[in-house]
Amino acid sequence: MEKDTLILSFESSCDETSVAVIKNGKEILSNIIATQIKSHQRFGGVVPEVASRHHVEEVTHCIDLALNEAEVTYDDLDAVAVTYGPGLVGSLLIGIMAAKTVAFAHNLPLIKSNHLAGHIYSANLVADLKYPFMALLVSGGHTEIVLVRAPGEFETLGDTRDDAVGEAYDKIGRVLGINYPAGKQVDEMAAKGKDIFDFPRAMVQEDNLDFSFSGLKSSFINRVHHADQIHEELNKDDLAASFQGAVLDILSNKVFRALKQHPVKQLVVAGGVAANQGLRQCLKDDIEKRNLDMDLIFPPLRLCGDNAAMIGAIAQIQYDKKDFADLTVNADPSLDF
Amino acid sequence: MKILAFDTSNKPLTVAVVDDGNVLAALESTEKKTHSVTLLPDIQKALKESELSIDDIDLIAVAKGPGSYTGVRIAVTVAKTLAFTLKKNLVGVSSLKVLAADGDENKILVPLMDARNDNAFAGVYQYSNNQLTNLIEDHHTSMSKLLELLEKYDSKDLEFINATDHLTDLIQEKYPEVKILNTKDSLPKADKLAKLSENEPVVSDIDSFVPTYLRLTQAEHDWYQKGHKKYGNISYVEEV
Repeated sequence: MEKDTLILSFESSCDETSVAVIKNGKEILSNIIATQIKSHQRFGGVVPEVASRHHVEEVTHCIDLALNEAEVTYDDLDAVAVTYGPGLVGSLLIGIMAAKTVAFAHNLPLIKSNHLAGHIYSANLVADLKYPFMALLVSGGHTEIVLVRAPGEFETLGDTRDDAVGEAYDKIGRVLGINYPAGKQVDEMAAKGKDIFDFPRAMVQEDNLDFSFSGLKSSFINRVHHADQIHEELNKDDLAASFQGAVLDILSNKVFRALKQHPVKQLVVAGGVAANQGLRQCLKDDIEKRNLDMDLIFPPLRLCGDNAAMIGAIAQIQYDKKDFADLTVNADPSLDF
Repeated sequence: MKILAFDTSNKPLTVAVVDDGNVLAALESTEKKTHSVTLLPDIQKALKESELSIDDIDLIAVAKGPGSYTGVRIAVTVAKTLAFTLKKNLVGVSSLKVLAADGDENKILVPLMDARNDNAFAGVYQYSNNQLTNLIEDHHTSMSKLLELLEKYDSKDLEFINATDHLTDLIQEKYPEVKILNTKDSLPKADKLAKLSENEPVVSDIDSFVPTYLRLTQAEHDWYQKGHKKYGNISYVEEV
């Protein structure tokens, strides 16, 4: 039997400080997540300098908890991995400096991982991935359709031209009086409402795989402001359902367009918006309706948001390829595939 | 006692290894480099020059701020992670005190960090019996208030350290003759930081060791201005 590989992984690209211990890229021995949501809710969104400060407060405590919960010592570890982008530069730097320091102090190989790749490989913690597979990455910062041809080989087929989908949720959430992050509450309201406002489905007629959400967002905001001006009462659940209906139509349209061009056996949906129940149901229904022989893989909710377990999962692929970094690793805030 | 000391609170980066007062290695760089890239390789270099391994080090000394927020965080994160992961003692020293350590022993020393908009981080220090003592605590201040505060001293006794050209202009408006060391002539030296650390308390709780920013973030400042209060022991960060 081959020797197990244990990776200590770090993720601090936005407002979560997370440290995990992952075995063979598959098994979560620990996945400590310290979230700053309550802090940033004071300001209605993530404030980068505040986020950086919180990361420094949390980082060593998270390492301690991760090792303890996994019941491992530094001697048991095979590598240290860290998200080096994309994300907020000040936030990324804390995880990077801490990871480099642990790697240096204990003479462990260092792996620098892409946050987006991490999100996609969160699926590897719950399923056996079969290549090639398709990934829909939906979060507060990203909306991408990615074809994964082989382990660690990514091709972006579609991307957003303006807002990320999660960002659109937060912006219309503000209009509905919902604090950031608004996705969960809008999703719950949408389940109770009806799609009656007929918001635009941008770019669904176009043959590319790109997204646009800013027109939808503006249309939503204009509709609400117009109603305010003429003192018309709009049902908030219906507004939420109409917004989400448009979002799901856009996502579904583009994903199935991509799947038609590149038939695969698995569709992975990852990122914070993958927690959306409406999205989960919609894609499941659409696969059935189209009679596709394809697995739909949604990571569990805990692995949809930012977490270090997913970094341990992608880092294992890099470990197997001996794709190691040295102590000069720096943050790359606008890293892509 | 073997001390590894480093300071990245501003543009210069400095790393030193000091053993019972003997400087085994001292690296200083003023070139505009990225501290996040160079700090760990420079620590490796300093240890190699000292013919020591990181395990041989007894104490980590770090300049804890004030200074560039990102710069200070880089050194503090490395220092606290090293101390935590190797179970070493950790000491934080004021970045302004480190600047003052290189000042004239017969002067009243005013180390500065330009905080833009005619503001600065400043403290007032003086050598007595070969020890650097603090006369006025480090604080964030407008330059006009600082200069007012310094009126109680004879300007012939003052030495300003680490003044940018702009801060120099502001100081000279009031004290045309006063001694001023500009940023190029006031490099922090990690061997001095190591020496200072011997007289500072060891950090008792490494996890909660954070930079001394001396300033709230703008967002928090505005939030408190609106009359918000932090109540009780509410924790803004929670493990989930």
